[in-house]
Amino acid sequence: MTENQYKLCIEILSRFDKAGILKNIVLIGSWCIPFYKNYFGDTKYLQPLKTRDVDFLVPEPHKIIEKVDIPKLLKDLGFVIGFKGQQGYIKLEHPDLIVEFLVPEKGRGVERPVPLPMLGLNAQALRYLNFLTGSIITLAVEGMQIRLPHPVNFALHKLIIYQLRVNSEKAERDRETALRILEAVVEKGEKDLILQTLETIPGKWQKKILTGLQRLDHPLLEVLFKNYNKS
Amino acid sequence: MDVIKGVLKEELQNSLQMKKDYKRELEKLPKGVLIKKIIRGHEYYYLIRREGGKVRFDYRGKPSSEEIKQYEEAKKLRKKYRQLLSQVNKQIKYLSGMLRDRKSV
Repeated sequence: MTENQYKLCIEILSRFDKAGILKNIVLIGSWCIPFYKNYFGDTKYLQPLKTRDVDFLVPEPHKIIEKVDIPKLLKDLGFVIGFKGQQGYIKLEHPDLIVEFLVPEKGRGVERPVPLPMLGLNAQALRYLNFLTGSIITLAVEGMQIRLPHPVNFALHKLIIYQLRVNSEKAERDRETALRILEAVVEKGEKDLILQTLETIPGKWQKKILTGLQRLDHPLLEVLFKNYNKS
Repeated sequence: MDVIKGVLKEELQNSLQMKKDYKRELEKLPKGVLIKKIIRGHEYYYLIRREGGKVRFDYRGKPSSEEIKQYEEAKKLRKKYRQLLSQVNKQIKYLSGMLRDRKSV
């Protein structure tokens, strides 16, 4: 991560904060990784690889009551609107960062963008995102309160989605990220939290995570898996 | 190694798309710069723009404050977008080179 990228990310968050929408959104995706450093503190934490994509999850779009035109809010920073895929998912592009919005998929799901009229853009609906909001942490960053998924939820979510990836390189990246974060959680002495989180989630998701864990050849996860089976 | 290659490929695709999008946004901006001239104490505006390699001055009289603001904003954005487009071009060159090197290893 370059200093420019970090500064730009902070500027975006600061503008969202001033506009009053930071409380309604959750930072997800690979940009959680540098901020988790604040959570892990002195714990050994090898930061996994990340991209330019800054993803924001809007867990409850209907709860946004203030109208904020996000493309306009970021225009003077040089962000331009770009479209992803044939469906036309909006992304805000800048050479240093790419901002995208996501919403949890409901019911049978939709193959087209979900309009977010209060934010002046649209979002992509994806499965399993509710798992990320199952446990949210708030970190103080540069005088702001940033909401992120708990590292345990973040890592376990990666263990679900890596199995669904068509792109094998992305799958490998997800797997690697999950491992590094789980290692840091264990190092921090919060191993039980992983097992507790597993117990609170729906059986179908549990099965997916356990399958993901089994496929990984990692001694630490083997121990976790055995402990889980015993309990 | 595949992970890094995957990230490089993804970033290259993003930069190529970004290049198209910055060019599109530059095209959308109103052409030229509005300049003010004071003649015998009166303010008059001219629109300066390039056309076929020549610089053209078009008399605009007294445009509305909204139009003046629109051209000022366009000037700032044009400068910003050109800087960022140049950054994107450097990224494309760098990422293409990295991927070529990895292929040859």
